[in-house]
Amino acid sequence: MNWPSRIASAAARGTMRLIPAGRRDWAEAIWAEAHQVPAGWPRLAWRAGCLGLMIKEGQMVRRIGMLVLFTAAAGAAAWGAWPGSPVSHGAAVQGGIILTLALLAGLPLLVRSWLGPPGSRAARWLRGGFSVTILAMLPVQAAIGLFAGTVPRSGINRHTFDLVMGSGIPGSSSGGPDWGGEIAILIFTACALAVVLALTARRTPVAPATLVIAAGAGLVLGLVMYAVAPAGINFRFPDRPWLHGSAAETAVILAWILIFGAPLIAGAIAGRRCHLRRDPGEASVALAWQGLAAGVVSSGVGAVFVSVFGSGTTALLVKSAWVRDVFYYGQHVTASAVYGRELYASQDVQGYFVLLVGFPIIGLIMGVFGAGVFNPVPRLQGPGGPGGPPGPGGSVSPPAPPVSGRQVDAEELTHAGPPPASAYR
Amino acid sequence: MGSRSEFSPQTLAVLIALGEQPSAWQHGYALAQFTGLKSGTLYPILIRLADRGLVEACWQEEPAPGQPRRHLYRLTPDGLASAATAQAAAQAAAAQAAEQAATQARPGVSPRRGRPVAAPVVP
Repeated sequence: MNWPSRIASAAARGTMRLIPAGRRDWAEAIWAEAHQVPAGWPRLAWRAGCLGLMIKEGQMVRRIGMLVLFTAAAGAAAWGAWPGSPVSHGAAVQGGIILTLALLAGLPLLVRSWLGPPGSRAARWLRGGFSVTILAMLPVQAAIGLFAGTVPRSGINRHTFDLVMGSGIPGSSSGGPDWGGEIAILIFTACALAVVLALTARRTPVAPATLVIAAGAGLVLGLVMYAVAPAGINFRFPDRPWLHGSAAETAVILAWILIFGAPLIAGAIAGRRCHLRRDPGEASVALAWQGLAAGVVSSGVGAVFVSVFGSGTTALLVKSAWVRDVFYYGQHVTASAVYGRELYASQDVQGYFVLLVGFPIIGLIMGVFGAGVFNPVPRLQGPGGPGGPPGPGGSVSPPAPPVSGRQVDAEELTHAGPPPASAYR
Repeated sequence: MGSRSEFSPQTLAVLIALGEQPSAWQHGYALAQFTGLKSGTLYPILIRLADRGLVEACWQEEPAPGQPRRHLYRLTPDGLASAATAQAAAQAAAAQAAEQAATQARPGVSPRRGRPVAAPVVP
């Protein structure tokens, strides 16, 4: 075999690994058959057909497109978040960015080898959305960290900074968390990403409908949370940005209801849509999975939504005068007051971390509870029908199979008792 | 049209090629030569037919020395029935087309309904 053929063979073998397992045989078959084709152009044309088949069956165009998109988004996020020279924790921030990108690229491959690829289109969208939010958080975090950590040299801004952040060396900037903080953020990101990847993998028994329901409930929760903060309420200032009086109070009440209600309802609906098995044990496990996934995903989506958009809004307030005008429209706020609000808002961003940790735990409990309480698992009943105390006439024993009758008669009678579990949906 | 086949002409050609020797396993290259299809057309057709359970495939047990194992194909009983039905439908369609062409060629007969048409008035 000459070297061009060797290179072509190696390239083909490498490409075949990208094809789904069910189609790999066919690619190997067409490649092997090329040995029967006369050498020269006919064989080249045959192998070109093989390449076309691999591109089509391996969905290469989509894969390459996704790769290009991910690379572009990762590059843009890293460029936006890369710390400048005045940042004192620059090395830690740079390390955090690089490791986050490595995590986003590597963890899906690791989970894929254990639990398989994404199980549905909904799963793919959920994964994509979560990756985008992680990428978006990189520049947002950098913008807020730099603003909140930069110590004004003098004047009223310096006084406000000392009040909010404590005294520091004028002009200096922490620029973000140190190594300890970065490692904590990385561990949390890795855990959250692993949970999302596991819940959306093909081998996990979570129905696509569960993911769609949960994501929908989570978006509603996130929108209401965003209406509360940062859009609605700023506890330190009486003149709230957008919502006033009863509107803000209504949003707060609705948010409290949805924190617990959204995963509960998502779990209940997901459990109702789940096709239960006949075996009560399997049905319970299936219900628990749907409840768990619905709860965690709905609360997680809500927390991620409000964290990303809340942090993003704060970062834009810091960066853009236009956004400040929109946000504090109709209010005559001095430059110093604006600085103070931005500083407070930057500090409040840390509160989103509490939401990101706490919401999925609440969601898990409420989702499983909702799936279990609103969708009771049917119990297998004996031939005598449903249980309960015997009536006044005493208990009626099930008819015994005839002595010389077929055994199947008794079996059919036994199985004729309870309806199939799916009938309880 | 009622006699229209559910298969494309290329798929029909593959079914006919496989139906020539229903019990024998055939190679991809032999099928390509028989049908005149290129590999990029032939193999997607074989994949779809196999997915529908009309074609079964297996790997050659003992390859020729120095050659890789080859993939072999033949029709399943369902595939055989589908091939026969499709072939009959194709033949019926071809016969109908031939009849239409003959009707069109005959003077004084409407090409659509086969009725005699009025002769053009010659001044």
